[in-house]
Formats: sequence, structure tokens, C-alpha cells
Amino acid sequence: MKAPPAGAEAPASADGRPRVYKTGMSRGWWLRRRHYFLYIVREFTSVPLALWLLWFLVEIQRASNGPKGYMPHSSPAFVAFSVVCLGFALYHSITFLSLAGVIIHVKGVPPRVIVLSQFAMWLLASVVIAAVLIGFAR
Amino acid sequence: MTSEARRRPAFAHLVWWFLFAQGGVVAAILIPAHILVQGILGPLGIVPVADRHYDTWVRLVGNPIVKLYLLVLIALPFFHFAHRLRYLLVDLGVPAARSLPAQVIFYGGAIVVTAVTIWVLLTTVPISFG
Repeated sequence: MKAPPAGAEAPASADGRPRVYKTGMSRGWWLRRRHYFLYIVREFTSVPLALWLLWFLVEIQRASNGPKGYMPHSSPAFVAFSVVCLGFALYHSITFLSLAGVIIHVKGVPPRVIVLSQFAMWLLASVVIAAVLIGFAR
Repeated sequence: MTSEARRRPAFAHLVWWFLFAQGGVVAAILIPAHILVQGILGPLGIVPVADRHYDTWVRLVGNPIVKLYLLVLIALPFFHFAHRLRYLLVDLGVPAARSLPAQVIFYGGAIVVTAVTIWVLLTTVPISFG
């Protein structure tokens, strides 16, 4: 924000009302640069991830229908929805974990190593999750 | 104003910021594997997945450690999403998203999702150690 010029502190306009500073932000500012656009995409990843988690909650709840009533989602539309969500999920993971080098400071450990450790944790967690989900199947 | 009263807003900020950060970590390291295995590989029949059959799914969801894990997996990211979506709206030109009612709606929504998740986990499949 630009500082007001000297002597411009709250000058009354012609009709006596104080002038209000208006922020200059156009509707489509985020479409103007690739960097801005990717920032908005990063923030938007919340929406598909939230929808997928809510679907997951529904799948858990469906187990209360009993063995006859339990039907896991299998439609092509659901798979397509998951593919889209996976894209956003990966974008969230990569951007979020890459920030760890800026957020976490450990004396004597370079930020690159901290970021690498976060990605290693992601890999390890993914392997464990897949192993449990597949290992307990029949 | 006493020094304690002055400290309180910062404490609330700390709580929401902590939930935002932890929700982001949980979403980043746990969600992609679930989407890949349960949303794509399982439905396509590429690998057998526990949630494809009632008996294997109930056995997994009945485990108390799995229940606790599912609560963290589903509820915590919503505190991250609430914060991000609120500021996404601010960035897209909706300054009202900063207001107290907006905060109540967004963080309240995350609390509602948490409560519903707890309710689903406690009522769907009885806890068993099998």
C-alpha cells in the first residue's frame, strides 16, 4: 500500500465526508499472471479435497446398511471424480510440503534436507496406507 | 486492559493457526494415497481393496485405532480448508469473508464436520479388536 503524501491525512472531500482509501483489486487479477493463477489453484485445492473426504465419510456410514446393503462406489463417474481430486491432492501435497523448508528451522539442518524429510514422510505414509487397505482386502 | 485480556486474541489465533497447519500436513501426507487406492485402483479392480467388501471393510472400520485415525484424517483437514477458503474469498474480492460471522460459518463448519465424523465413527460399526 502506498503511504499518503504529507499533509494528506484524512482531508475532507468537497461534500464534507472523509475520503476512504479504496483498494485497487480488479475481479480478474488472478488470471493476469501464471503465478497468481497457480496461487489461487493452490488455495482452491481445498474444495475437491473436502468433497472427496465427505464422500469417504458417506462410504464409512454405508457400512451400517449391513452386508446386503453395502455397495461401494464403482461408477466411471466416481473414478473420474477421484482422478480430478488426486490431481488437486498432489498439487496441495507438493506445494504444502515444499514450504516446510521455510516454516521449520532446525539448527545446522539445511532447508533442503527438511523438505526432503517431509517428502520421505509422505512416501512412507502412502506406502503404509496402501499396504493396510490392500493387505486387509480379500 | 489487563495483560491477560490482551493475550487472549493471540491465543485464539494460535489455536486456529495450529489446526490450520496440522490439517495441511494431514491432508498433504495422507489424502493422496487414499484417493489413489480407494478412488481409482479399487473401483477399477486393479488391486483388491478392503472397502470393496462389507466384511473386510467392517473389520477395518471396527478397529478403535482405525477409528481414531479416520477422525484425524477426515476432521483435521477441514480446519485447514476453512482457513484457506475464507482467505480465497477475501482474495477474490469478498472482504466480508474476514468478518466474525464468516469466521463462525467457516470454523463452525469444520467443527460440525468433526462432530458428524465422530458420530458416524461411533454409530456405524461397533468397536472391536478383531
